[in-house]
Amino acid sequence: MHLLAQDLVNGILAGGILAVVALGFSLVWGIMNIINLAHGAFIMLGAFITWQLFTSFHVDPFLSLPVSFVVLFVLGYLIQRYLINWVARAPVLTTFLLTFGLSLLIVNIALLIWTGDTRGVTTAYSGSNFTVAGITVPWAKVYTLAAALVITGVMYMWLHRSKTGRAIRATSMDIGAAQLAGVRVAQIFAIVYGLGAGLAGVAGTLISLSYSLNPAMGQPFLIKGFVVCVLGGLGSVEGALVGGLAYGIVEAFASQIDLTIGTQHISGTGLQDAVALVVLLIVLMVRPTGIMGRATA
Amino acid sequence: MILRPTAALGVLALCATLAAPSVPVAAAGDTILFGSAVSLTGSLTKEGHLTQEGYEFWKTYTNAHGGIKVGGKTYKVDIKYYDDESKPATAAQLAERLIDQDHVNFILGPYGSGTAFTVAQMVERKKIPMVEGNGAAEKIFSQGFKYTFAVLSPAKRYLEGVLDIGKHQKPAAQTVAITAASDSFSQEVAQGAAEWAAAHGLKVVYNNKYPDTATDVSSIISAVKATNPDIILNAGHLQDALLVHKGLKEQNVPAKIYGYSVGPDTPDFTNSLGKDANDVLGGAQWSDAVKYHGDPGFYASAKDYAKAFEAAYHHRPDYHNAESTAACLAFQYAIQAAGSLDTEKVRDALAKLDKTTFFGILKFDSRGINVFKPMVVNQIQNGRLVTVYPPGLAEAKVKYPAPPWGQR
Repeated sequence: MHLLAQDLVNGILAGGILAVVALGFSLVWGIMNIINLAHGAFIMLGAFITWQLFTSFHVDPFLSLPVSFVVLFVLGYLIQRYLINWVARAPVLTTFLLTFGLSLLIVNIALLIWTGDTRGVTTAYSGSNFTVAGITVPWAKVYTLAAALVITGVMYMWLHRSKTGRAIRATSMDIGAAQLAGVRVAQIFAIVYGLGAGLAGVAGTLISLSYSLNPAMGQPFLIKGFVVCVLGGLGSVEGALVGGLAYGIVEAFASQIDLTIGTQHISGTGLQDAVALVVLLIVLMVRPTGIMGRATA
Repeated sequence: MILRPTAALGVLALCATLAAPSVPVAAAGDTILFGSAVSLTGSLTKEGHLTQEGYEFWKTYTNAHGGIKVGGKTYKVDIKYYDDESKPATAAQLAERLIDQDHVNFILGPYGSGTAFTVAQMVERKKIPMVEGNGAAEKIFSQGFKYTFAVLSPAKRYLEGVLDIGKHQKPAAQTVAITAASDSFSQEVAQGAAEWAAAHGLKVVYNNKYPDTATDVSSIISAVKATNPDIILNAGHLQDALLVHKGLKEQNVPAKIYGYSVGPDTPDFTNSLGKDANDVLGGAQWSDAVKYHGDPGFYASAKDYAKAFEAAYHHRPDYHNAESTAACLAFQYAIQAAGSLDTEKVRDALAKLDKTTFFGILKFDSRGINVFKPMVVNQIQNGRLVTVYPPGLAEAKVKYPAPPWGQR
C-alpha cells in the first residue's frame, strides 16, 4: 500500500514533465497539422541553454526558464517563417521529412558546440527531498510539477482570453474562415510554431534538473510526447496535462506488476512502455479523439 | 502559399551531409583500410566517441612509427568511419557499405553489444574479420560466428568484483538489489551478478529490468528502497548510471555499496554528479593501474599508454579508449603473424593470437571472446578514480560503507 502511494507520487511528478513536453508538440500538431520531429531537438537546446547559463553564470535553472522560452520561441518563429512556411500546405510527409532533417541538423550542430559529453545540472537542491507519511518526495520534481501547472494554466488562459490566442484557435478550427475574418494565417502559424519550440525549451530546462544532458537526449522525450499528446487529445492544453499525468501514473504503476505464469516470470518494470501503449490503445478505442480531445472536421 | 520543394530538398541534403560525418579515405595500394560504424550520435554518443578516440590513437601511433610490416612490405593504416546513430540495424547496413562499397580490408567493432551483434552477423555473411573492444554480451559469441573476436572480458563478469568487495568488508554486505536496462549487455551483466551473488552466499532481494529508453526510473528506485539492500547494482550504460544515481539520491535510498557496470569510469559521471559521485564503485575492463608488460610494437605499460593518450586527447583514457586501442592491436599482431592481408589467413591468426599488451592478454576462446583477461573495480574517491580491486592492483583501500546522502 505504501509502495503504491509512493508510485502515485512518482507518477504524478514524472507526468508533470511529460505534460510540458507534450504541450508544445500538441499545439503544433493540432493547429498546424505538422508532426514536429524537431521537438526533441528543441527540448535538448532548452536543456543546454540552462546548463550553459548554470555553469558559466551560476543562473538557477528556474531563472533560466524565460531565457529558454524566448530563445527557442525566436528560433521556432524564424524556422516556421522562413523554412516550414514553404511547405506548410504540403502533404504531411513533406513536413515530416523537413522537421526530421531539422532535428538532425540541430543535433549535429549541438554535437559540434557541446560535444557528445554527458552533462548534468546539479544545484544545491538537486536530490534534496522531504518525507510525508513515509513517502519520499524530491523537491526539484515538486518545483518542476508546479512550474508545469503554472505554464499550462497560463497557456490555457492566453489561448482563451487574448486576441492572438483566439486567432490561433480560430485558425485551428477553420483556416479559410479565419482568413476571412482578418487573421493573418502565416503570422499565426509562425507564432504557434514559435510557441511550440518555446514550450519545448521550457520542458528542456525542467528536464535538465533530473535528467542528464547530451545532444541526443531529446529522442525518448519526443516519442513520449507523441504518445501523451494523442492520449490527451490533439491541440488541447488541458489534454496535454491530463495525458502527461495519466501516462506518468500508468508507467509508475506498471513497474509494480509482478506475475508468475507457470515458470514464466513477468516483471512490469521491463514493460512500462508496453503497458502505457496498451492504455493508449484502449483510450483511443473508447475515445478516438483522446481523453480531452474534441471531434474536429 | 507557394510550394518550393527545391529549397526544402536543399535543406534536407544539407542535413544528410551533416548527419553522416565521414572521413574521406583514399583506398591506396599501400594502405590497410579498416572500417568502423560507431555511435557518433544517439544515446551512446559519448561511448562512441571514446571508441573512436581509442582507434585514432592507435592509427596515429602506428603511422608515426612507420606502419605495419606485412610480408616484407610496409603498410600505412587508415580507418573509415560512419555514424550508426546508436542503432543496431543502421550499424549492420553501414558495415555492409564499408565492405561492399568502400572495400575495407577489415572491420573494427562499433560501440555496444546491440550494434556489435548485428555487425557480427554481417561480417559473418561477408567473411570479413572483425575485432571489437566494446561488445561484451555473450549472446554475440554463442552463435558459432567465426569472424568476430572481442578483446574484452564477457559481460557477466562486470560486477563480480564489486560483489566480492562487499563480501569481504566488515561488516560484510549480505543483500543485493540489481536494476538493469533491457539491452542484451545489461541483461547479461545483471544475470552474471545474480549468479555470482547466489553462488557466494549473498541474497538477491531485488532484480528487475527497465526499458533502455526509460527517462524516469523513480518507481524502480522506490521498489529497491523497500527491500533495504546492502549493495545496489545497476547494469547499464552511462545514461543509466546517471539516471539511477540521481534517483537514489532523490529518494534518499541508503546502501553500503553503489556499483555500476558503466559510468563511474567516464569523467562525465563525476562532472555531472559532483560530490554525489564519491565512493561509487564501477566494474572496469582496464585502468591505468594495471601492471602488464606488453609485447613490442606499442606502448608496453598502461602508464605509458595513459600518459601519451592524455597528451593527445587531454583527458585520462578510460577503459573504453583502452579496449578500442586493444582491438586495433589484435589486428596488428594477427596481420603480422599471418604475413598477409588475406582475410582467411588473418582470421586464423586472430583465432591463434596470444599476445600481452598494455591492456592485458589478447587471446580468444573458441567462441572468439577474451575470457583470459580479468576485470578491475574502480572507486571514485574525492572526485578521483582509483583502482581498488583486485587486491594485487589496488591503488587505494576501498571506502566502505558509503556515507549517507548529503554527507559526501
